[in-house]
Amino acid sequence: MNSRERFFAFLEGRQTDHLVLMPITMMFAAEHAGVRYGDYARDHRVLVKAQLNIAEKFGFDYVSCISDPAREAADCGAAIQYFDDQPPAIDEASALLMDKTALARLQVPDPLGGGRMHDRVQAAALFKERAGRDKVIEGWVEGPCAEGADLRGINNLMLDFFDDPAFVRDLFEFVIEMELRFARDQLDAGADLIGVGDAAASLVGPQLYEEFVWPFEKKLVEGLHGMGARVRLHICGNTWPLLEGMGRLGCEIVDLDYPSPMGEGRQKMGPGQALLGNLNPVAILRNGAAEQVTHSVAECHRQAGERFIVGAGCEVPRGTPPGNILALRDYARSHAPRLSP
Amino acid sequence: MPRYSQLYDAILKGDLKTAVSTTQEALAKGADPENLVAESMVPAMDEVGRRFEANEYFVPELMIAARAMKGALEILRPLLTQKGAKPTGRIVIGTVKGDLHDIGKNLVASMLEGGGFEVIDLGINVSPQQFVEAVKRTNAEMVGLSALLTTTMPSMRTIVQAFKDAGLRDRVKIMIGGAPITQEYANEIGADAFGENARTAVTLARQLMGVC
Repeated sequence: MNSRERFFAFLEGRQTDHLVLMPITMMFAAEHAGVRYGDYARDHRVLVKAQLNIAEKFGFDYVSCISDPAREAADCGAAIQYFDDQPPAIDEASALLMDKTALARLQVPDPLGGGRMHDRVQAAALFKERAGRDKVIEGWVEGPCAEGADLRGINNLMLDFFDDPAFVRDLFEFVIEMELRFARDQLDAGADLIGVGDAAASLVGPQLYEEFVWPFEKKLVEGLHGMGARVRLHICGNTWPLLEGMGRLGCEIVDLDYPSPMGEGRQKMGPGQALLGNLNPVAILRNGAAEQVTHSVAECHRQAGERFIVGAGCEVPRGTPPGNILALRDYARSHAPRLSP
Repeated sequence: MPRYSQLYDAILKGDLKTAVSTTQEALAKGADPENLVAESMVPAMDEVGRRFEANEYFVPELMIAARAMKGALEILRPLLTQKGAKPTGRIVIGTVKGDLHDIGKNLVASMLEGGGFEVIDLGINVSPQQFVEAVKRTNAEMVGLSALLTTTMPSMRTIVQAFKDAGLRDRVKIMIGGAPITQEYANEIGADAFGENARTAVTLARQLMGVC
């Protein structure tokens, strides 16, 4: 089986030769390609080359367009600070929607308009050209809470939940419209799968999540499914209180960050949900020995059961020993799902 | 039961307006500002921290509680200064150079303030020299360093070294925190403490100041 065959067979519940391997790599990929992260994030040709290099070197089943959460905000006109060798960051002190009334005037940017969103669409197209027959191609969009925080400022958004619920809903509505257009163009360019990153969602509790965030995440997931996309949900941080809701979104893959026990994820989301993760990226993957990596991934597998994809809890950090990623690969290659008769 | 229960409740609920009005009313009735802080505000923020750690409160609830606490503290601060009241400790805090993430640092700063500390918040993207200068200027006993990225956390080591170079390392306690930080890393760079979350940071700060 090649990577695509393995991935799609897994999603369809068919037997695969071994486990699928899909850790998120960004700075680790740039490091192994010998390129500065600022170039990786700003030039799709650099990103694609580095992703293909790392997928080949470590046997990943996919390549990803993910680089940083600031692409959509940049094209909306937010102030972004760029660095030579780390991800671009949003300057919250001058957040685009510091003045909430600016939302009414904000236009959804054209994902093919020559900005940073377009650069990601071009990454998807170049992946299709270079690896479309073998590797799964992952596009990426931000979820409502993450992108809302990028546009409004995360500190402001956290207070808005109480101070101005109507604004939060209007903001999330805008975000979903923008992300669906962005996803559409990435899918048209060649993406098979859309990753949804909703990092800031882990900062809210289950009540605010259900009331404000979940309905918009659901709308996004349904919109993506309507376009024929498979969806990978990743919420950075401790999502333990949100697991049940995350399972109800209907994503093909839920990629758990390490603070949420995999076994809890399985219990809250049921036996059919494909779970990905969730080694501690710093303490185990970067700082641990290869034997610890093997032990940890085996434990994740045990807790997750057969609907399991090998990956880290979050991004594989720069400076992770290659031997530790090879340990992940070797685990994936030496274990095949056992399908129920 | 705290002595000024309305203020305590207002902070717990994150009700800024009531926190401010009850503080004003208590002062008008002759309440001692130091008592208001010690007997209502600090216990309220301790309870907020407990609920946060127990997954009963989350970041938004913590932030509105901190906002209510700060609203009351703004009224009390000039009176406390006038009386010569001493804070539990003085801490310079900031997100390290190259890192623009501030929500974690803000939560810790608010909880420390609610815990009776005087907090000098240098903001984000703070250079080692700015930390050193701020300690010299304010005579702070502690420094709090925050980083969210594995790429920016090495700056913490540089800051510890900058305090050594300035001859101030023996005078200040250094506490670090942030998503990629571990106790092992704190040990490795010679920091005095690693705070895993905002509540732990307050407990550690009190321990470092020898007040608990």
